[in-house]
Amino acid sequence: MAEPVLEVHDLRVTFDTEGGLVPAVDGIDFSVAAGQTLAIVGESGSGKSVSSAAVMGILPSNAEVKGEVLLDGRELVGLPSDELRKIRGNDIALVFQDALSALNPYYTVGWQVAEAYRLHHDVSKKAAFQRAIELLDKVGIPDAARRAKSYPHEFSGGMRQRVVIAMALVNDPRVLIADEPTTALDVTVQAQIMQLLADVQEEFGTALVLISHDLGVVAEVADDVLVMYAGRAAERGTVRDLFHRAAHPYSLGLLGAMPRIDVPPRPRLTTIPGSPPSPGSIKTGCPFQPRCAYTERVGERCITERPELTPRPGEGDHEAACHLGRRPEAVV
Amino acid sequence: MPDILWFIIRRLLATVLVMLALSLAVYLIFYAIPADPAHLACGKPCTPDRLEQARHFMQLDQSTIQQYLNFLKGIFAGRTFGEGAAAVHCNAPCFGYSFPLARPVTTLILDRLPVTASIAVGAAVLWLIIGVSLGVVAALNRGRPLDRLAVGVALIGVSTPSFLLGLLAILVFGFWLNMVPVNGYVPFSESPVDWAWHLVTPWLVLAVLQAASYIRLTRAQMLEELNLDHITTARAKGAGEARVVVTHGLRGALVPIVTLFGLDLGGLLGGAILTEKVFSMQGLGELLISAVGQLDVAVVVGVTLFSAFLIIVANLVVDIVHGALDPRVSHG
Amino acid sequence: MSSAELLRLDGVRKYFGLRGAPWRTGQTVKAVDGVSFVVRKGETVGLVGESGSGKSTLARVATRLLDPTSGRVEIGGKDVTRFRGRRLRPVRRTVQMVFQDPQASLNPRQSVGTILSTPFRAQGTRPTRAQLIELLHKVGLSEEHLERYPHEFSGGQRQRIGIARALAVSPDLLICDEPVSALDVSVQAQVLNLLADLRDELGLSYVVVAHDLAVVRQVASRVAVMYLGTIVEEGPSDQVYAAPAHPYTKALLSAVPVPEPGVTRDRIVLTGDVPTPISPPSGCPFRTRCYKAEDVCATTRPVLEPVNGQTEHRAACYFPEPPPS
Repeated sequence: MAEPVLEVHDLRVTFDTEGGLVPAVDGIDFSVAAGQTLAIVGESGSGKSVSSAAVMGILPSNAEVKGEVLLDGRELVGLPSDELRKIRGNDIALVFQDALSALNPYYTVGWQVAEAYRLHHDVSKKAAFQRAIELLDKVGIPDAARRAKSYPHEFSGGMRQRVVIAMALVNDPRVLIADEPTTALDVTVQAQIMQLLADVQEEFGTALVLISHDLGVVAEVADDVLVMYAGRAAERGTVRDLFHRAAHPYSLGLLGAMPRIDVPPRPRLTTIPGSPPSPGSIKTGCPFQPRCAYTERVGERCITERPELTPRPGEGDHEAACHLGRRPEAVV
Repeated sequence: MPDILWFIIRRLLATVLVMLALSLAVYLIFYAIPADPAHLACGKPCTPDRLEQARHFMQLDQSTIQQYLNFLKGIFAGRTFGEGAAAVHCNAPCFGYSFPLARPVTTLILDRLPVTASIAVGAAVLWLIIGVSLGVVAALNRGRPLDRLAVGVALIGVSTPSFLLGLLAILVFGFWLNMVPVNGYVPFSESPVDWAWHLVTPWLVLAVLQAASYIRLTRAQMLEELNLDHITTARAKGAGEARVVVTHGLRGALVPIVTLFGLDLGGLLGGAILTEKVFSMQGLGELLISAVGQLDVAVVVGVTLFSAFLIIVANLVVDIVHGALDPRVSHG
Repeated sequence: MSSAELLRLDGVRKYFGLRGAPWRTGQTVKAVDGVSFVVRKGETVGLVGESGSGKSTLARVATRLLDPTSGRVEIGGKDVTRFRGRRLRPVRRTVQMVFQDPQASLNPRQSVGTILSTPFRAQGTRPTRAQLIELLHKVGLSEEHLERYPHEFSGGQRQRIGIARALAVSPDLLICDEPVSALDVSVQAQVLNLLADLRDELGLSYVVVAHDLAVVRQVASRVAVMYLGTIVEEGPSDQVYAAPAHPYTKALLSAVPVPEPGVTRDRIVLTGDVPTPISPPSGCPFRTRCYKAEDVCATTRPVLEPVNGQTEHRAACYFPEPPPS
């Protein structure tokens, strides 16, 4: 395994709100190597987007971040804001879900890409704009020199997402964090964007952290997967571990709940009862326990004792946070 | 580009129609007043004969509609009251003739305009600077003492009558501290220093009062703007806080601020009645108030229409500037 | 066997005028441009398409929430194209709509009880409490929810309330516009199962409008694929998904990622964007992005024709895909 570019250890994020302290991320670990893709999977409130924002250091001021975030071995948590600013958008860049709101409506796309370059390079505005055109061209925007002078609202959704990707790539980042980069897009456009990200990764050896709820996309592009639930890691392993040997009842539930296009429809989808909990609402035991079908078999432990990630015997780095020792059967 | 030209032409045509309708309405309202301007002109004792003469001279013996048509005609062709040696000429564009002041309304307005404009423009620049900067500071310190202070100042400003603050300012700075002149106006062409010296107190008084609504507006807009996704993008790019706040945040908040500013300035140029009265400055507001006292209907109509015209023009300018500031607005 | 037709659309067009300056020739958005479409009792028809395909507009015309620009809308065998106001009441008893975003389609100031009684009142009746409770039970909620307000529910529960509201007048056909796209995966499955259960219990029929092809695959027995305001292919789901005949359907299906690591799909990556519905291409609307387009495609618009002799499966293409060998 190659040396990881980005390593996160025991990341914790707590929000200080009017309703008290809310733990949004409660101790997660992950790492990603150059050219590799790590997918972080989860539903709303799982803490997946908060984790990425914490790595970028762009959380609002009422958030407290603890743990380690190592970029090429250099600790980012607690770095003075000036130092951190030099890393943001330069070594680690972010691609947002909704490109329309992620772009500033008042400036041309060329200006915005050029700004990202100028913030980290001492060049003239003209040279930066030239670089912006180069990148817009690279991400497949036709007639880039002319389109660079257009405003975000003058682009289609897919083209806007390309602009956002160009903006993220303009400084040749080591790590790209893509937060639901295709959720707002149509499926044919999604295919174009995923292809573009794959091409970029191949050309520059960028490490990609893909945050997604779409298991189809994950299966297609990820090398490793981290499944998050209620701010904690439920399961971690290679993409094959998750899709062929899912060890956590939640992961299994997600796979069963997903309608698929490649197999004949089942009479009923497997469901997970209830809804994802709001962050911090489950204080003791396993956060998934109230929705879990296996609690009865395990007993009290699920309610009293919080399961930690434990390696699955004989399955390499595959880990799951579940008291049920053996693999849950697919049918509940 | 032709879009914007068409837009302006269309709006100007609309402006003419609005002004016509407005002038008719104003005319009908003021001529419906039971008091008779001819009475005042005729003096005391006033014989029925002399009253009839005065009526005829002032063309008040004609029907209201005919008077209105005369008024319209005067705008383009000028008017003449009376005949022979006693005749009074009012050259085009004639917006009526003030018999008590024995001068055409147009001349009166043009004489007074520099005074009002000096007050209005100077105060406007001040309140824009004060209001926007305090608003930004308040938004950045939301919920903290600095924010509460700014909001408190705004509340006081909004609820204080201008004459009260004006009189207090005169009392404190004029009489007690003897720092500034307490009244009067010196034309800029005579002595720029004296001009400014006489104006500084009214400027400050108006600015403090008006700034209040700008503090509130800027604060609200900035809070909204700073919550938008593209602000997070700017941070993720590695932009420093100053750049995030000004280049990305304030830029978006600018549109409503400019809109309010344009309308406020347009309104104020039509006469700052109370301020002019308090500081004994012979501006448009003062002209209007004394005309009302003397039943000088021609002046009342003229100044009212002029103020209305300024507001309509301000609206048009605001709309054009709005289009220039927000690329998403089309003047189709 | 031809069971009763619940909904029939004949050559339906819906154009929206763009607000423009009077000296400009009025531009129109051709959101739906000639769609014919039948839903029979007991069927679940999936209407799939990407953004701008006109599927949501079509759904609103079909429920008579929008007036068609031209064409005919028949509901329950009756021509209701020109019905308005009061005359639409019986139509509402036959066809109801479930909206995408339950957050936006439920009045936050009304309790669930009030929300559920609205459709009764629109029909001029007053529901009993027992009726309201029964509605809640149908969608898997309970009596205690009656006095609560929308914000006290999760997204999935809100969508259940939206469905209960649609069921209030015992309709025969539910038109669901993206019923699960705002929900988490685990909750999506619950709602899809609920729709299936209601179909079995109440004999409901559905039109499910969705951009997610897997969702439509799961629920629909028949599927219609829309592109730029027209239906380019329709047929039984099994056939359309297994052997798409229209190049667009084929590309669309190939673009859907499959949750099976290591499986590489023969992906047809379409270039460019969907053209604007203000000035759609001449002839076949898909020709500008099609990998099979030839001169004939630019001249006349192809009509839906049976694929390989199967009358149920039709595609509008001059060069349909051959059947799989």
